[in-house]
Amino acid sequence: MGEQQKPGDLVQGTLDMLVLRTLARGAMHGYGIAEFIQTTSNNVLRVEEGALYPALHRLELRGLLASDWGISENNRRAKYYRLTAAGRKHLAVESEHWGRMSAAIALVMNSA
Amino acid sequence: MLLESVEGTWLRLKALVHRRKLDRDLDDELAFHLAMRAEKYGSGPQARAQAQRQFGNVTRIRETCRELWTFAPLETLWQDLRYACRTLKRTPAFTAVALLSLALGIGANTALFSLVNVMLLRALPVKDPQGLVEFVRATPAGAMMTNLPNPVFEFLRQDRNALADVFAIRESHPALRDGGQVNRVMAHQVSGTFFRSLGVQPLRGRAILPDDDWTGAANRVAVLSYAFWSRRFGQSPSAIGANVRLSGELFTVVGVMPAEFFGVDRSRVPDLWVPLATNPNPGEVWVLGRLRPGVALPRARVVLEPVFHRALEWIWDTADMKQWPEQESRGFMSQRLIVNRATEGTSGVRWSYWEYSSTLKILVGLTILILLIACVNLANLLTSRSAARSREISVRLALGAGRWRLVRQLLTENLLLAFVGGALGLLLAGWGHRILLDFLLSDPLSGAFNYRLDPRVLAFGLALSLATGLLFGLLPAIRATRAGLADALHGAARQTGTAQQPLAKGLVVLQVGLSTVLLIGAGLFARSLRNLDVADLGFARENLLLTDVQTSAKTPQARQQFWTELTRRLGVVPGVRNVALAGDAVFGNGGWNNTVWIRHGGRATQNVHLSENYVSPGFFATAGVPILAGREFSERDRESTPDVTVVNLAFARRFYPGENPIGQRLSGGDRPAAPTEEIVGVVGDAKYGTVREELQPMFFHPLEQAPPLSSCVLHVRAVSNPILLEPAIRREIEAIDGDAVVGEMKTVPQIVHTQLREDRMLATLASFFSLLALALGAIGIYGIVAYRVARRTAEIGIRMALGATQGAVLWLVVRETLILLVCGVAIGVPSALAGARLIRSQLFALSPSDPLALSCATAAVLAAGALAAFLPARRAASAAPLAALQSE
Repeated sequence: MGEQQKPGDLVQGTLDMLVLRTLARGAMHGYGIAEFIQTTSNNVLRVEEGALYPALHRLELRGLLASDWGISENNRRAKYYRLTAAGRKHLAVESEHWGRMSAAIALVMNSA
Repeated sequence: MLLESVEGTWLRLKALVHRRKLDRDLDDELAFHLAMRAEKYGSGPQARAQAQRQFGNVTRIRETCRELWTFAPLETLWQDLRYACRTLKRTPAFTAVALLSLALGIGANTALFSLVNVMLLRALPVKDPQGLVEFVRATPAGAMMTNLPNPVFEFLRQDRNALADVFAIRESHPALRDGGQVNRVMAHQVSGTFFRSLGVQPLRGRAILPDDDWTGAANRVAVLSYAFWSRRFGQSPSAIGANVRLSGELFTVVGVMPAEFFGVDRSRVPDLWVPLATNPNPGEVWVLGRLRPGVALPRARVVLEPVFHRALEWIWDTADMKQWPEQESRGFMSQRLIVNRATEGTSGVRWSYWEYSSTLKILVGLTILILLIACVNLANLLTSRSAARSREISVRLALGAGRWRLVRQLLTENLLLAFVGGALGLLLAGWGHRILLDFLLSDPLSGAFNYRLDPRVLAFGLALSLATGLLFGLLPAIRATRAGLADALHGAARQTGTAQQPLAKGLVVLQVGLSTVLLIGAGLFARSLRNLDVADLGFARENLLLTDVQTSAKTPQARQQFWTELTRRLGVVPGVRNVALAGDAVFGNGGWNNTVWIRHGGRATQNVHLSENYVSPGFFATAGVPILAGREFSERDRESTPDVTVVNLAFARRFYPGENPIGQRLSGGDRPAAPTEEIVGVVGDAKYGTVREELQPMFFHPLEQAPPLSSCVLHVRAVSNPILLEPAIRREIEAIDGDAVVGEMKTVPQIVHTQLREDRMLATLASFFSLLALALGAIGIYGIVAYRVARRTAEIGIRMALGATQGAVLWLVVRETLILLVCGVAIGVPSALAGARLIRSQLFALSPSDPLALSCATAAVLAAGALAAFLPARRAASAAPLAALQSE
């Protein structure tokens, strides 16, 4: 797996936040989450499976996600994740934090 | 945060249970993702291959996710355990030996600890056992006696300064009449405060109260023990209020005590308790009590010692002790009072076995030795084994295993061994504990020992297992992983194996030494036992039956009549050759102590303290004691005829050396001035107490010339098997006196057998342990030589190819072990000799350096060790050289 940070690699905390935000739109399986993030970010953010699934399971163990097994669009068995109340709360906290951070960074980067 | 970890733990626990479901789900989840991606690239194998490449290492992802769901430390532990089990199963011989060594070492120690726990450490099941104290007197000679003269109790009772409570106990053995049968029971005569002080509520009815304990009490009351109530009354409630007849006196049962109550002495549990006042002449009693709050033991002693001395002075005055020899009375008056904590009760067993007998100490020594041998054996085996596994370990290290991970895994293996061995040991202990108790107690039925395993003992066993496991397991584990990688992989380990390994050799020597010590000990005990068995008792053993008979006749005339009648009637029973009576038996208590004044013509009268006995006419003939001079007592020696006495050879030699004692005169203790008894005969020396005793000077009086005794020991010499006469004898006694109490009838071999119980146990245990140690050691040597030989197979092959004979190869392998054996024996023999000096007192008619025991033990050790080394060596030597060379 990648040792150097390439553009498009996501730090784990950020990945968690993106996953949570994706799932805020509704329950989804792992593949769907990865595709959504990739598509919505105009193919800049590519989520590696080796990072995605451990992240999903970690979030589930922390109680921020809940999982159910269901049938996908093309009639395959798939595991769907959804946000729990705790997950929603965590997402709110994290996105607020991210907002402040990126604004602060932008201020520094755009300074004269 | 906390909530998250709780949630996580809960989910993980669930996953633990549904392990397979977790695995399946993970597989499915990742397979789904893969399939979706493949679809994106089209269909067919190429699409799938591309998807796979992009996916990455499925297995690794799966493992990462899986690990999240498990308890990591638990998983590794479980892995280690399973691996350990597999490894141990692969070498069954080693595992069996290791487990056996451990089980025996730990089992023996736990059994002994359990015994000590029961006998010495368990508090009494009474109210506030910590507050109980017992009173003991110390004689000038240093002996501690728990029996105090009754007046001491009376004086102590009146103390108000130090004592909150005090009570006394006296043991008696009355005859209980039950229908047609008369049996001996054990009763404790207790003062009125006994039950109140101990604070245990009776199961039924009531206990003895202070009101019951005075001589004029209308009703004589009795309280039953649970065991007695079960035996005699079948636990029926109608026992309360029933009457029991004890030695002719009527007692009313007023209560029953609960099952776990036994009084204050575990080893002497009575059948019933009666008031002390029912005994007009208590003589000596055990005294216990409780101190006032705030009074410590030393202060109590300071306060009560003067009371004790006042009591002694009172005894001096009233018992007219001025007649006593100077030394005696001085000794009596200078006794001291000791106050001890009696939390665990007073224990006849405790006093006699811990302080005075060396049996327990020897046992402790034996079991410690066994544990040492077990540990050494194991350490040795493990060291060799890890040396043999050095290859495996090096490979694993090379593949990237962490060193501490490996150490942990090896340690788990050893600890597993230790715990399984410990568990087996506990099983053994449970079984052996019972046997030990039965051996150590002279009368196990009277003891309130329950054979249940105490949690303290279990904890001890576990702790011992753990300590042993760490002791012999950690070091080899660390050493094993320290091996240099390259060396091991290139097989250089094989060469270092043949080089000197001081630790392993030292261990073998140590083990051989320990085995030698044990074997010599066993040999000594065994020979001592044999000597005891065949010791000359001074009288004829065969066909002699001994019984205690107690008549219920109260007046001297009635008693005299009883004995006369008894002798006459028994004399004519078919099968009886001789009948005689004695106040104290051959194999009794060693006679009475009395003072005797010996007048020598021309010399000063001597005053000595000796043993005496009262015997009937024809006693010596019945007992088979030879008459060396003069005559023994006959029908003609009566009350009215002149007093006569008979002395034994030791007496004659001591006090009349070179002269003929016949015709000389003696007198008893209270009449120094008038030596009235004439010596009419000298008989051979015999043992009147135990097999071990030294032959003492003794003198004898005719029964007829003394106040008739209430109980005598009946000696019956039969024509053939004396046991056959038992019913006839009992019938005759019953016919004369229905209330007479007849004790158990024993033959001399039976009595000797009982007396030698302890010696037999020691000899058996020592033999068992030593043979075990030898077997363990031999197996250990076998294993080690086998390992060494296996590693040197190539070298052996080369030697043989170069022309060495089988014999030379054999010698090469065995030589090393032989040197170790000899070293071990060289250490073991002097240690054994030094140790034997400690048990010298236990050995009978045997020198601690008995050459036969020494040589047999040494020969056994050398032979076993040589054989153990010879077998694998022979196998190696007989292998074809080519095969040996190709084995690498």
